Amino acid sequence: MRNTTPSTARARAWASFRSEWLSTNTLMGYAFVLPLVLWLAATILYPLLKSIQLSVLNIKFIGTPGEYVGLDNYQRALTSPYFRAALQNSAIWVVGNAVVQTVLAFAAALILKQQFVGNRIARIWIILSWVVPTVVVVIIWRWLLSASGGIVNYSLQSLGIIDQPVGFFSTGNTAFISVILINSWRWFPFNAVILLAALQRIPAELYEAASVDGANVLQKFRFITLPSLQPVLFVMGLIGTLLSFNVFDVIWLLTGGGPSRATTTLPVLIYDTAFKKYRLSQAAAMSVLTGIILLIFAALFIRFMSPASDSDER
Amino acid sequence: MLYRVRRNLPLALSVLALMVVILAPFYWIFTSSVKEPQEIIARRPTLFPQSFTFEHYDKLLYHSPFPTYLRNSLIVAIGTMIITVVLATLAAYGLYRLRFPGRQMLFRIILITYAFPGVLLLVPMYDMMSRLGLVDRLTALVIVDVTLAAPFAVWMLQAFFRTIPQELEEAAALDGATRLGIIVRILLPLAAPGVAAIAIFAFITSWTEYLFSSILIVSEANRTVPVGLAGIIGQYQVDWGLLLAGATATALPVLVLFGLVGRNFVEGLTAGAVR
Repeated sequence: MRNTTPSTARARAWASFRSEWLSTNTLMGYAFVLPLVLWLAATILYPLLKSIQLSVLNIKFIGTPGEYVGLDNYQRALTSPYFRAALQNSAIWVVGNAVVQTVLAFAAALILKQQFVGNRIARIWIILSWVVPTVVVVIIWRWLLSASGGIVNYSLQSLGIIDQPVGFFSTGNTAFISVILINSWRWFPFNAVILLAALQRIPAELYEAASVDGANVLQKFRFITLPSLQPVLFVMGLIGTLLSFNVFDVIWLLTGGGPSRATTTLPVLIYDTAFKKYRLSQAAAMSVLTGIILLIFAALFIRFMSPASDSDER
Repeated sequence: MLYRVRRNLPLALSVLALMVVILAPFYWIFTSSVKEPQEIIARRPTLFPQSFTFEHYDKLLYHSPFPTYLRNSLIVAIGTMIITVVLATLAAYGLYRLRFPGRQMLFRIILITYAFPGVLLLVPMYDMMSRLGLVDRLTALVIVDVTLAAPFAVWMLQAFFRTIPQELEEAAALDGATRLGIIVRILLPLAAPGVAAIAIFAFITSWTEYLFSSILIVSEANRTVPVGLAGIIGQYQVDWGLLLAGATATALPVLVLFGLVGRNFVEGLTAGAVR
């Protein structure tokens, strides 16, 4: 037996470090995850840093060299009415989609939760509108809403609601409402399927016990369903908002951001600036600003909406 | 009896409404794509086709660049599928079957990349691809699509990998199986439904991708289906017959794949979310 000297303590620390960090499991773990992490670093982290570099230059066409212009692009974006309008449109877009999709998804999930013939098949095929390519969704709705031969215009006319076929994408407000509804049609079944899975995990005993105590439907919803769904609603709120913010193709292919920029959200503005107006560095600055805005949103959302927040638990 | 009907009527009606909302638009484009041109644009739409023709499909397949788009999309989707399955399955094995420090952090990083808005990468990605000489190459699309699909694929695999008992692996190890042998002979067959689900997810992600394809691909010959069809939408005179046939033909491969593993797909989707 020897006394514990600093050197043996260090040796022991090293041994435990080695056994933990250099054990086969650790090495193997990292070796298995590494390919994906490297891939993501090269295709997300590197471009992200690159966009900061691009944003302080004055590149217009891609491939042409640019000079250092400092924060000019940022200043221009922040003072541009287009950027502010797009930010506002994005906010309306995200909120509008969240409201419509949440209502539709809840309704669909509650329907699918019931027992009826074919409910197993319905629970799978409901996400059809989400799995088909967006370009198909766009063609479907352009066709249904078409002013010549479109079924929606024809039905509304037959019912006497309108006299003349309506161009749904020809005025700012109707265009915005139409794209929100179409995007919600594409996404609500996805949310419904996730909500359904969460609803099915709530133990039936909870509801039975509440019934015994004389709780009504609303009370059950308020005190059992809603709290049980908190974690899922939190994730859906955060990730759903980011995914919905990112939507570009539905808007671009239905309205091109018009009429007169009414449906130009930030993704549309970035795309348009970089690849239609050929102001690459300007678009890079907008991307960085957008990233910062989303980061702030995510931080606030996590801070105030976390299911285990202080106000709820204590 | 009457009581039962009355009780079930609201449910039946709401189920019907839900199905109509989701399915009717599809019915409408499928049936319209086989109507004669004059019936398609008739002022009074017909619920059931009064005429029947394959002329739009004939035009689509023999007198339009659609088959080229289809080939390009297939190449990109299959490439994306293979790389995603390999990367995501390896990562899932590491994250869900091995215990090591830093595991949780890696898992979170991968999750964050899933929610990361791709549009922020648009400009620098174009810059990067042009430096690598990959603009107008299908390879560029495969690279981007894997990035879009792989993080969620790892998440989907969670449910399938976690349910396999650890004892199976231990027993096999005692019998002298190597780690690779355990993965290939025991884990993969048991996680097969999950692997099928992520393969389809990767395929569909790539099949749908428009944003990056529309800027990274320049020439007509390299266009994928979404970009190609969007080009037809943008033409001055809209050829609805052709577009509807194109939409149907584009949706079809997805429907077939989804029909095969739709159940696993939805299972992976939901199990990851409500863990």
